[in-house]
Amino acid sequence: MVDFTNIDLDQLFGFGDDSNPLLMLVWILPIILFIFYGQRIQLQVTSGEIKKAIKKLDEYRTESRSELIDYIKKNMHPKEDPAKRIDRFLDYFTIMPVDMDPNGIVDKIRHTVRAREDYSRNHVKSISPDTDEVELSKVITLLEIATSLHMIYKVINHMYLTAKKQNNYPLILPLQMILPFIMEEAEAITKAIPAFKKGQPVGDGIGPMVVGKMMLDTKKEAVAFQTVASETELDGRKLTLLKAEGPGSTVGRPGDAVEYLVSKNKPDIIIMVDAALKMEGEDSAITAQGFGAAIGGIGTERFQIEAIATENNIPIFAIVIKQSVKEAITLMTKDIANQADNVRNQIHEMIQENTKPEQHVLLIGVGNTMGVPQ
Amino acid sequence: MFSKEKIIVEYAVEKCKSCNLERKRKFKEGDYLFRQTSKCESCDGVMQIEKIFGETIEQ
Repeated sequence: MVDFTNIDLDQLFGFGDDSNPLLMLVWILPIILFIFYGQRIQLQVTSGEIKKAIKKLDEYRTESRSELIDYIKKNMHPKEDPAKRIDRFLDYFTIMPVDMDPNGIVDKIRHTVRAREDYSRNHVKSISPDTDEVELSKVITLLEIATSLHMIYKVINHMYLTAKKQNNYPLILPLQMILPFIMEEAEAITKAIPAFKKGQPVGDGIGPMVVGKMMLDTKKEAVAFQTVASETELDGRKLTLLKAEGPGSTVGRPGDAVEYLVSKNKPDIIIMVDAALKMEGEDSAITAQGFGAAIGGIGTERFQIEAIATENNIPIFAIVIKQSVKEAITLMTKDIANQADNVRNQIHEMIQENTKPEQHVLLIGVGNTMGVPQ
Repeated sequence: MFSKEKIIVEYAVEKCKSCNLERKRKFKEGDYLFRQTSKCESCDGVMQIEKIFGETIEQ
């Protein structure tokens, strides 16, 4: 009979004896394994996570492509199947100008980006020439979404496959670090699709929403491409209101518009209302006031507005409504929409505090004006 | 343990330009901001879409 009540664990596993070869193997084998194959093991573990993310990115790009093609078929009624043309658009690239000599680079970037925008607009319109401007702007935005997701997938997949091909763990590290941010952005871009299809205002449209309401019942004038202005009065001050022309999906060309308006009638101050990215930990839909040109994008519009304001010695004031990336490009949230009246009150206070009667204020509602007319 | 599915319900808020009566309803295809939609129920004013937004609910 074996006495199970009297087992000596030290003796069984050899804990008390340093020369037990079995225990030595248990300790030494993993050490050797990790010394020679540690990076490969880490590469395999990390690869699994990255593969899942790439699969998700592939789903996003496929979904955006099919949503775009379905939307074109349903709303533009093309004579031919648009799939082939769309696939060609998805692979279009933009080569940014050389920046070794930064002198004049803003003009070069503006030229390149606008040339691409004009090309896309003309070619999307050629799918069905009778399409109205609002529908066209929606299709162009959906195309930009599909192109962005296509490009994100291709770049991330390339980085992953390169690291795998070279069996190089350090190569996969930067990818592992940026991936959560990329996934957050890709998810936000994908979730933007329904709002643009339905013509609903997005979080970024809060600036145009605030100014658009003030422009109702005023005479509008096109002052730049897809950009309108009108004039009104507030507490004895002359007020010029400016925003992208809604309800289509566009941000207009506020830089060109400001240049035209300042040359025509120089304002005493400029006020810009825009959505701004909130910091982690900050509440969504809170407002903040500050100085300087509140406008995002690649920087060319901001550069133009800053240059004009500096040349003419016009102070620029800003009111921003904080939100996340996702909130900025998806259907406007209730909290952001509820801030519109508060922002209008802040504009009134800002005008009263910083100008005298008879002075002239240029108020710009910056952002995508989808679903926001004037 | 299991996260609830979040869905976004789309709403439009209409406001009467004369008596400021507000009415919240579900978003309809073709709605956009400041669109004049119907006559006010309490006065002869015109209802206009004041806000369009989404509310997240958990299922």
